[in-house]
Amino acid sequence: MFSKDNKLENFKDAETVIGASIKVKGNFQGQGSIIIEGALEGSLKTDANILIGEKAKIVANIESKDAIINGEVRGNIKAKNYLSVGGTAKIFGDIQYGEISVEKGAIINGQLLMLSEEHKRNEKNKEETGAEK
Amino acid sequence: MHVYIYDDYLNKGKYNKVINRIEIRLTDLGLNGKIIRLGGIKNIKATIQNEIKLGAKTIIAVGNNQTVGRIIGAIVDTDIYGDFQKKTLLGIIPVGDDNSIAASFGIKNEEEACNILLARRIEKIDLGLVGNHCFLNQATIQSLGTILEIGDYSLEIIERGEVKIINLLSDKNEKIKSSPHDGLLDIYIKTKKKDETRLSAKKFRITNPENKLILDSVAEIETPAEIGIMKDKVNIIVGKDRLFE
Repeated sequence: MFSKDNKLENFKDAETVIGASIKVKGNFQGQGSIIIEGALEGSLKTDANILIGEKAKIVANIESKDAIINGEVRGNIKAKNYLSVGGTAKIFGDIQYGEISVEKGAIINGQLLMLSEEHKRNEKNKEETGAEK
Repeated sequence: MHVYIYDDYLNKGKYNKVINRIEIRLTDLGLNGKIIRLGGIKNIKATIQNEIKLGAKTIIAVGNNQTVGRIIGAIVDTDIYGDFQKKTLLGIIPVGDDNSIAASFGIKNEEEACNILLARRIEKIDLGLVGNHCFLNQATIQSLGTILEIGDYSLEIIERGEVKIINLLSDKNEKIKSSPHDGLLDIYIKTKKKDETRLSAKKFRITNPENKLILDSVAEIETPAEIGIMKDKVNIIVGKDRLFE
């Protein structure tokens, strides 16, 4: 998990960056961290982290380990570990999270559901087993 | 046996001195071999493949990116690529301009190229593939209107700029990281609005009705085109200052 102070540091070496001039359609799936500054329609999933930029427009369900949402998301979000919702975020959909922080100004229109301790433990175990391999 | 392939343009008088210098240096290093001048040859592919069958262990391109591209097309023939071709080494002696491929391999000039041939530091390099055409460095196309279809998703670019599909970096100042050993092509899109996109893929389809795809600044290909990568396809003699690990 990234610390709240240096969370952007984790994306310095993101494997995938989608700029503001790009429209993505379909099921976008990655292994590493993903930054989206443009538009995406479909679904977005990674085993690592996702950062949705301020001007990004996402119409998709999102699933990741950690996530930072600063733009507009129309769809459900599942951040298995930690979710940071920035002051410029507009979320229209349900959210599942391990831990959450919400900045003043954020718009959330949906249900918030904290993942159970058991679910988090399972995720952590999966990570540790993966790391051992 | 070494076979040196001289490009057509080296017949011009202004290259006489540099060619003489190269030949003297190669003789001093004991690297002399057969010389083939492309100027007088109609079927380059057949000529080079014949030399490989006759036992050429090292084919050396003397010229520029275009020379290297033509020779790779003959060595790595996608239809008949066999054991004898897998063992062939490719060397490069850059002469004149347009030599980004040699620069990627840490070969800065003709004199250094001769020393690098002697040192025989060998790297297996991936090759980009567009239809029947290969590229070593990169393929480029105008970004506006370009659509990339990668597996389950597509990317549409809505601003002017450039799409680079990189196998092997030619500019050490480029911010993107790319390896010619990883079996992946790195897609790097930079638009005039200064935003950047980067991702990797093994194969994809590219479409731009208005513009052509340019391979290694030489060949122009119409789209739609299928782009892929052939892993560790060519053995190249490289310098120690090459632009990759």
